[in-house]
Amino acid sequence: MAALGRAALLLAFGLVAYALVAGSYAAWRRRRRLALSAQNALLAAFPATLVAALVLIVALARRDFTFAYVAEHTSRKLPLQYALSAFWGGQEGSLLLWLLVLTGYAGLAVWLNRRSRELMAWTVPIFGLIAVFFSFMLCFVSSPFHQQPPPVDGAGMVPSLQNPYMLAHPPMLYLGYVGLSVPFAFGMGALLSGRTDERWIVATRRWTLAAWTFLGVGQLLGAHWAYTEIGWGGYYAWDPVENAAFMPWLVATAFLHSVMIQEKRGMLKVWNMVLVALAFNLSVFGTFLTRSGVLDSIHSFSKSSIGAWFLGFLAFMVVLSVALIYWRLRPPKDGGPPLLRSKTKLESLVSREATFLYNNLLLVALALTILWGVLYPIVSQVLHGQTRSLSKPYYDFFLHTFGLPLLLLMGLGPLVAWRRASLRSLGKTFLVPFGAALVTGGVLLGLGFGSAWPGLLAYTFSAFVAASIVLEFVRGRAAAGGIFRLVSRNRRRYGGYLVHAAIVLFAIGVAGSSAYQTIREDAHLRPGQTMEAAGYTFTYTGLTGVKGPNYTGFRTIVSVSGHGEHFTLRPGQNNDPLQGASFVASIYHDPRTLGDVFTRAQPAVGSKTAIDLQVFVKPLINLIWAAGFLFVFGALVAMWPDAVEQRRLAARYAAGAAPAGI
Amino acid sequence: MEWALAVAAVLAVVAVAFVARPFLRDPSPASDRLDELSPEARQRLALAEERDRALAALKELEFDHRTGKVSDDDYRAQLGPLRRRAAEALRALESREQTPHERIPAPGEHAGR
Amino acid sequence: MIALSVAAALAIFVVYTAIAGAGVAQLTPSTVRTAKGHVSLVGAVVGPVGHTSTGLRFSVKDIGDRNPTRVLVVYSGTVPDLFKTGRHIVVDGTMRHGVFAATPGSLTTKCPSKYQGSSSKA
Repeated sequence: MAALGRAALLLAFGLVAYALVAGSYAAWRRRRRLALSAQNALLAAFPATLVAALVLIVALARRDFTFAYVAEHTSRKLPLQYALSAFWGGQEGSLLLWLLVLTGYAGLAVWLNRRSRELMAWTVPIFGLIAVFFSFMLCFVSSPFHQQPPPVDGAGMVPSLQNPYMLAHPPMLYLGYVGLSVPFAFGMGALLSGRTDERWIVATRRWTLAAWTFLGVGQLLGAHWAYTEIGWGGYYAWDPVENAAFMPWLVATAFLHSVMIQEKRGMLKVWNMVLVALAFNLSVFGTFLTRSGVLDSIHSFSKSSIGAWFLGFLAFMVVLSVALIYWRLRPPKDGGPPLLRSKTKLESLVSREATFLYNNLLLVALALTILWGVLYPIVSQVLHGQTRSLSKPYYDFFLHTFGLPLLLLMGLGPLVAWRRASLRSLGKTFLVPFGAALVTGGVLLGLGFGSAWPGLLAYTFSAFVAASIVLEFVRGRAAAGGIFRLVSRNRRRYGGYLVHAAIVLFAIGVAGSSAYQTIREDAHLRPGQTMEAAGYTFTYTGLTGVKGPNYTGFRTIVSVSGHGEHFTLRPGQNNDPLQGASFVASIYHDPRTLGDVFTRAQPAVGSKTAIDLQVFVKPLINLIWAAGFLFVFGALVAMWPDAVEQRRLAARYAAGAAPAGI
Repeated sequence: MEWALAVAAVLAVVAVAFVARPFLRDPSPASDRLDELSPEARQRLALAEERDRALAALKELEFDHRTGKVSDDDYRAQLGPLRRRAAEALRALESREQTPHERIPAPGEHAGR
Repeated sequence: MIALSVAAALAIFVVYTAIAGAGVAQLTPSTVRTAKGHVSLVGAVVGPVGHTSTGLRFSVKDIGDRNPTRVLVVYSGTVPDLFKTGRHIVVDGTMRHGVFAATPGSLTTKCPSKYQGSSSKA
């Protein structure tokens, strides 16, 4: 069976290598049949990879411990769904998942665009190049199909991974990470074929949006997992692995906005190429960070041998991207302007284009400061001989510095017209949102929210943005004659506004739960004692023991009252003899504040009945999760196919692309 | 285990056949040339995009004006230039469509239709 | 205009690092003995773990087993998930009289075999 898996992967490798080599030659020498052949090879790579994936899935389901991978990541008693999730639980499996999604996406994208032979000519080899790396790794460096004499039982899965999040969070992230390779391949393909038109953007618009949505949802799932299951009291720790997904998401957000400018005004061609390359390379870097463990142990790659390979691939792709962009920035040999130069210039610093540009700069600046923070331990080791690390204060500073203006811009952008906005018309459209913000800010200040100025600013800006979004819908509805008609005729725009609304909810949730949270960490309680936090009284009444299939533990009983509410929380710990003790947080969702009362408990030192209780009161935190749903809805609206627009675009490219003569 | 190898063999054969298909179907074609857009066609495409952009900008100006984002003065000020741009783009495109254009000759072929 | 914004962003960045300092040093037991000031200690927990009236006492060694140096850590505050002998930990604090006095609540465990690579904080 493993032989089938290995053979399938070798076949996949051969196919994508052919797609790369033959495809490049065919594109260079304009050979139609060879190009088609290379395209077929790329298409065939998916079924080949799928066979390999199925072999691994079956082996995992059967707990076939002759597969070293299966023995390392599952055990007999492991429930089936988690045994299957071990597919992406280990290094080799997750490489296979990358390749599977990549060949799937590439195949679909190429198939859908098969009639644009010129565009595909160079896109196919780029896909092939990326796939060659991953299939090479799977065949020769890190194979999931190593055989061994089967042990009695497998090593099993870490208990903290055995929850539904493990089934959803990694695949979502991969669908996002890999999805960013589609616009990259098309963009580099466009550069190679010397096309300056926007065909590549039009073809990949929905792909980018989908990948970006998956990446966003994947991160939200991870945050929710950290908050509820791992339960250290927060949802984002600026951990390198978390940042690994955040950075490409930020750059992809910038890209989504700046392609709109290229479409509407023909500007920013270079910038878009840079962004798409940056997003893709950050995506590969993110995979590398998560897989190689390089930042936990910077002295050796030996913990995971693939670190060096990934770095090499990343370096190669960066150099390739830069080279291609640079090449097309130079004037071509036969005269004429450089391919990537655009004729239009920014007309005014007060225009929608300009606000998009500011938004881009802020997003990229934030992504780069996060990148610096992630790389800092390595950089400082190299420069100072000492590993230093940057943590929450650093990231918070830049999140505020760049994030708050971004929030404001979300409200400003829609209010400003394209090309040039006169200050007078700005004044009119600004009035209501500005007023809303002023009133909100004043009221909040009066209520004492000035204690945390980033929170106050976030709330005030959110009011501004929310008002401007509502106005857009109200005014638009009047102009279009109905909300449904409005949205259905302007899907991208109003889907975008819905996504902005989701981001506003998200920002309010984050501000409330971080700037205005109450933390009590030092409560040492004996049975019957109480403590206070944020107007609630917590009474610790006692302990009960709990027993599970592979753990024992305890739960405390804490009665809480305050603000007219009464509830009981049972924070405790589970003790796994193999792994150690882990917290089981107890959370009360407070309808009054849309927030949570989050508690943790550990046994107090030196007493059998006393506990150390930790309480976090986090207002508005549930808006973060609600925002996730609105985010997906808005993205779907924006992505929804529009028959009228499709026809128009098809007509445009059919007319332009049809070769004359013959 | 033999069945596994058989499956692998079948897979490989099917894959190779699929990859070779363009050559098998069309062993001696009239032209094996992968056509690319001639400079003419590229120009036309650029003009078509320009035309679409101008038309879309007009539509958007209209919408922005109706929803009150663009004042009457600004609207009147921008309408003229945008209309002119759209008209120019349409005219340029139409004139293009009337001039004959050529295929790019492959190396070795002689030029002309 | 892009150039101007890039310059502005860089300026903010440089000002910040100048004021806030350049991060916290991450040291191992073999290098922390001579360290001054607030640092992060990274290592593996060596048993047995002792309980005091205020918290924990445990020794930490270099991850990777090559160095015999042991550093004693005195810690109070929340004990993070999965803390046990052998676990890789990070804890902030200062060296005082040859013993690492940890900042309360700063202990975090790392699970190197875990795919996520994420840490459980105290």
